Amino acid sequence: MSERVRNLVTVTALVAMTTILATLVATSPSDVDRVSEIGERIKCPVCQGESIANSPSPMARDMMALVAERVANGQSDEVIVAELLAAYSGAVLLDPPASGATLILWLSPLAALGIGAVIIFWWRGHPARGVTGDPPEEAGPTTRRLVPLLILAAAFATIVVVAGLSLQDRSGRASGVAALGDQDLSDVSNDTMEAVIAANGDHPEVDGMRLALADRYFEEGDYRSAFPQYLAVADSANATDGQAVTALARLGWMAWDGNAEVETALNLFDQALAIDPSAMTAQYLKGQVLWCGAGDHEQAGAVFATVLSDPDLDAESRAAVQSDLDAVTAGEDCA
Amino acid sequence: MLAALGSAGMLVALVGAVLLVTRGISAARSGTRPNLGGAAQLLLSGAVASMAAMVLALLTDDFSLVYTANHHARATPFPFDIATAWAALEGSIVLWALVLAGFTWFVYRRYRRAPDGLGAAALAVMGGVAVFFFGLMITVANPFEVCVQAAEVGCVRSSPWPFVGIDAPANGPGPNPLLQNHFMMAIHPPVLYLGYVGMTVPFAYAIGALAVKAAGPEWLRRSHRATLVAWSFLTLGILLGGWWAYEVLSWGGYWAWDPVENASLMPWLVATAFLHSGIVQQRRGMLQAWNFILVIATFSLTILGTFLTRSGTVNSVHSFTQSAIGPALLGFLVLTLVGSFLLFSTRADHVASPSRLESMVSREGAFLINNLALSVYAFIVLVGTTYPLVLEAFTGTQVGVGEPFFNRLAVPLSFTLLLVMGFGPVTPWRTTERGLLWRRTRTPAVVALAVGLLTAILVSRNGWVVTAVTLGVFVVGTMTGLAFEQASRRAAKTSEPLPSALRRVISGDGAFWAGQLSHVGVVLVAIGIAFAANLGAHAEVRLAPGEAATFQGHTLTYESPFRQVTPAKTVVGARLTVTRDGRFVGIVEPSANFFGSDESGVSTPDVLHRPGGDLYVTLLGLPDNGSAALTFDTSPMIWVLWVGGLVTAAGGFLAMRARRREREPVEDRHTIDV
Repeated sequence: MSERVRNLVTVTALVAMTTILATLVATSPSDVDRVSEIGERIKCPVCQGESIANSPSPMARDMMALVAERVANGQSDEVIVAELLAAYSGAVLLDPPASGATLILWLSPLAALGIGAVIIFWWRGHPARGVTGDPPEEAGPTTRRLVPLLILAAAFATIVVVAGLSLQDRSGRASGVAALGDQDLSDVSNDTMEAVIAANGDHPEVDGMRLALADRYFEEGDYRSAFPQYLAVADSANATDGQAVTALARLGWMAWDGNAEVETALNLFDQALAIDPSAMTAQYLKGQVLWCGAGDHEQAGAVFATVLSDPDLDAESRAAVQSDLDAVTAGEDCA
Repeated sequence: MLAALGSAGMLVALVGAVLLVTRGISAARSGTRPNLGGAAQLLLSGAVASMAAMVLALLTDDFSLVYTANHHARATPFPFDIATAWAALEGSIVLWALVLAGFTWFVYRRYRRAPDGLGAAALAVMGGVAVFFFGLMITVANPFEVCVQAAEVGCVRSSPWPFVGIDAPANGPGPNPLLQNHFMMAIHPPVLYLGYVGMTVPFAYAIGALAVKAAGPEWLRRSHRATLVAWSFLTLGILLGGWWAYEVLSWGGYWAWDPVENASLMPWLVATAFLHSGIVQQRRGMLQAWNFILVIATFSLTILGTFLTRSGTVNSVHSFTQSAIGPALLGFLVLTLVGSFLLFSTRADHVASPSRLESMVSREGAFLINNLALSVYAFIVLVGTTYPLVLEAFTGTQVGVGEPFFNRLAVPLSFTLLLVMGFGPVTPWRTTERGLLWRRTRTPAVVALAVGLLTAILVSRNGWVVTAVTLGVFVVGTMTGLAFEQASRRAAKTSEPLPSALRRVISGDGAFWAGQLSHVGVVLVAIGIAFAANLGAHAEVRLAPGEAATFQGHTLTYESPFRQVTPAKTVVGARLTVTRDGRFVGIVEPSANFFGSDESGVSTPDVLHRPGGDLYVTLLGLPDNGSAALTFDTSPMIWVLWVGGLVTAAGGFLAMRARRREREPVEDRHTIDV
């Protein structure tokens, strides 16, 4: 077989097989597992960087069950993802969109590839004058030309980074509440917070701000302003358990401290403790109301003892609770 | 007592490291050749004493050390009691420093044989890195603090002075439950550290060469073995990490692009690029500047990896300030980068390469594409890992970067690398004679596509699986063709039989063929990943005792729950028998393991290893009604992945041991064969 015929046969075989293979792959029945594909896009709220598809934790299993149910109902990926992100605080999208703050993530590898290709291309086009055997001093010009190129590459990379960051900055401000849940609210005025909350009343992230505002009013003793905010958090379907417990505990304390409604107060504490039995602030406040409001020394003592059994309690609080417990056991009235 | 021994060891090692720096620098500068043996001995013996004190404290349940008191328990069994020495931050730095001292000793032995400026400067750099790590031990991460106020379990207050008012607790809480659940945790960190720390050696030689203006490939030659050792151990370390994740973490996977995993992958990628571009410099005198950059990048990435995994930055940016070691490592990283590149820029005229690239269709061209792809790969992992941290630190915005992002970018890049791997080894240096590449690749291409077709027809039409198999067969095919081409040419010349000619061809260029073995390993890894990731199956079931479920042709019958209590842990699990076509295959016992006072339990899967696909069973829970909630997973052919990783590392070890054919640098000839 002559070389020419052999080449012809080989090329024909390659083209034919590639075509068949491509057709087979393209027409293969889609066996994409949508449930785990969606699960891989969402970070499990209670794990260390695992997606809900990869975590054996009960919360991740619950979320995966929800995904499976929604997929069976024929909902689109985006709708399911949006629902999960809204319903579970702490769930983060692991699949950064090619827009806003994460656009740069997708662009920078392309930029790196481009810079690398440009450097190789440039290097080929500007060979060093000194070939092997020439005195090494000849190499100087190459290096001198390499340095500006490196500086150029660095400058380009910096521009991409800065542009990306500033872009992120603007989009962050425009969308207003996008980052609200984790924002540092310490220098935001009460009025601003009221305005933002009023404008985004049903946004899932707004509960964090409500709580921060309410805490501020609470500490100022302005129960009248704090009350509606805590109430909204306690009623909110989007609030985390932690947020709801805090709100309920504070509502309970205000009911007793502001209106002397012992029954209401104890009821609210129990609601908080039903959500999270280990919520020590709620326990302690309940003990206070039992002691000072209901005058029930026995129960108050039991509650204080529960608080003391928490190993995470810091020393200062421990001392305070201990002295309260001693006073209750000694039958003293509350101060 | 042991605290005093350990502290003394630390101090002695620090003195040795400082001496190595000062005397090394003066030796490199003055041209005298002083004996650096004393300094190297102090460093090594101090490091060994520290580690010995640590291990002895754990073996003898000496709870007067805070480290033992807070990370060890009397009931912790062998080998986990020893492995506890590197299970927590302070101890892991002791191990790191010991490995560093060991590598320094090898650099010293080379210097002792032939003392010169380059060797002295490299030792000074090794000493400098050791000063940092022993300094870290003495200041912010002291592993030999003693307990001065014991709690019921563990220690609440400590002091760095080994003899003051020791108050040792009766027992400690034991190591992190997740870490004592599998023997792999005992060997994974030392293997990984041999990889990480070994990268200090090429870095030290590179900086030394820049400092004493020793241009040329001498620094590459000296660090070659250490680079291969480090690279092979890093490969093994990553493999063991994936294996551990698979056997312990309950979700049937082995790699999740977790920041800790990425921290080990980044230096591996850059070191792999360096192994290849180093060959170009040795053969063609090109890429000298680039090799310096790669080595500095590799070393910096090992430090960055340590920073990411050991400062607590990864889980939350907010824990950053909780450990003083975070800022120290970050400072060291910045110092390394700024110092190295400043030195590099002042030596710019010495690092230029005299040779030029004649054609992209050449071995050099293939290596360039390989380096570009590997560097961009490492860059993607770096950006994806650090961007969320940087963004959160500066703006407070939380974004997640996980599997979907990495897979989308890394998979095409991996396939590109496989394709280049098919062409590179059969492409000659300098320029390629017309038609040569076609003649060498046409038959492997036909065979590869034929195997790809068979795979599509018989196994799966999944695009990733078919592509991985086709490219993999192509890579193996071209290298096999090359071996036979060279062997038959030799056989024709010497008229020896083909098999013995083949043996001589391979043993005559052991380093090259060891590299090809690593390529085979990488091909196996790629195929293993493609199968496991795309052809797996998953099921979630709830079985009453005696009830059975069918999964992937196997019948799994839930026999009963069980409970085992040992001093170290309580195991609560479910026992299932596995049959196939009525024949007994095995028993699986997925469980939850409870260590000490830990109440949440570590979910522990049980894996029945089968050649066609492992049966991977996890216990979700044992509800009160007596049933068992279980998940079944299978990842077909995952053993190919493990074997591939071992083969890749084996190639590295063999290349180190291979007799290197003495090669002249390629000169101005036109058609030079491989």
